Amino acid sequence: MAEKDTPYFVGFLPIPAGLKLFLLVVSLSLITGFAAGGILVGISQDDPGQAGFRFDHGRQTVTGVFESHPYPMLHITMGSEHLPTGKTIMVSGQGKTNIMRGRSDELDGKIVEISGVIVQRGDLKMLQIAGGRRGLKPTEEDGVVPVAEDLGTWRVKGEICDGKCLAGAMNPGRGIAHKACANLCLIGEIPPVFVSTKPIEGEEYFLIAGPDGKEMTQDTYNYVGQFVEAETRIERRGNLLVMRMDPAKMQVTP
Amino acid sequence: MNAAESIFFVAQVWATIGAVVATAFLLFGIDRIDEDARGAYIFRPLLVPGILLIWPLVLWRWWVLERDLDNWRNRHAPPRRAHLFIAVMFVVAIPLIIAVSWSLRQEWQADFEPVKISLLHGSAGQGDAAA
Repeated sequence: MAEKDTPYFVGFLPIPAGLKLFLLVVSLSLITGFAAGGILVGISQDDPGQAGFRFDHGRQTVTGVFESHPYPMLHITMGSEHLPTGKTIMVSGQGKTNIMRGRSDELDGKIVEISGVIVQRGDLKMLQIAGGRRGLKPTEEDGVVPVAEDLGTWRVKGEICDGKCLAGAMNPGRGIAHKACANLCLIGEIPPVFVSTKPIEGEEYFLIAGPDGKEMTQDTYNYVGQFVEAETRIERRGNLLVMRMDPAKMQVTP
Repeated sequence: MNAAESIFFVAQVWATIGAVVATAFLLFGIDRIDEDARGAYIFRPLLVPGILLIWPLVLWRWWVLERDLDNWRNRHAPPRRAHLFIAVMFVVAIPLIIAVSWSLRQEWQADFEPVKISLLHGSAGQGDAAA
């Protein structure tokens, strides 16, 4: 075909006869292809379940004994409608940050008042508090941190997530983007949470600590966002269960 | 510093250098290499995200144009020659990547019962299944 006879598509001119069939085939292929791709990707995802920020509950203000390690938590001594007295709740800052930045460990064991919004998935609750004194008002009064109760060593299977996204700040996912997002939160010192395949002592969600009971160890980050099997010591702090995870006793499952 | 923190650190360093390049290029460089951009400012912030990502290419093109080394006739020839090959590779690679990722997905072992292997820390195994 001579070059001058080659059909040439111009959007605002009538479609050349030689390109009509080609345009129809390409258009239908793209529409059906993208629709099929969208459906396939959609049905391959897990149901994220019901979770999210409970703005419908409004701002919750509670008082309790603050515990800084392994991650900030409050043993509530004066509760609110949705955070009853006696509950132990994990606490996070705004976005992907912990609340301890710029605050000293001297808060550990003190009576504090905190105020924020609940993030909730089932029994898992975390309180996202505002920055500064609006979110956390310390007092000079010392409280009594509950003594940790040893529940023994367990073989468990499940996933290490960042507690805030799991609780509903975002929906859980799969794969490398999920792992990267979770690790970004954990670098910001959001409390990490283990999701067990089955409940232990009635709980499916566990705050994760290192083998020494302090922050999660560096090597554990490599297992975040993947399904793992681990041998771990479990203890109860208040009414929150904590896993002391040792990466040397952990492996990725098939 | 673990692997995740290392990746995060590299991304921060890359974006910080990109911010410096974007500032210099959009305040001074673009006027020197593109006469059509002179006196036009509103569009410049729109270029910032792109420069943060591809600042080495921006620096290289700035240097080439500044030194008058550009051969504009050949500038797009190599990418155009590679278009067909790249298109075919995409057609092959995208379904392949999706298929491999689906086949490598882990299974959530929903039926696994946690097992208590010692009653207290350091004591002997008990083998109790979770209630």
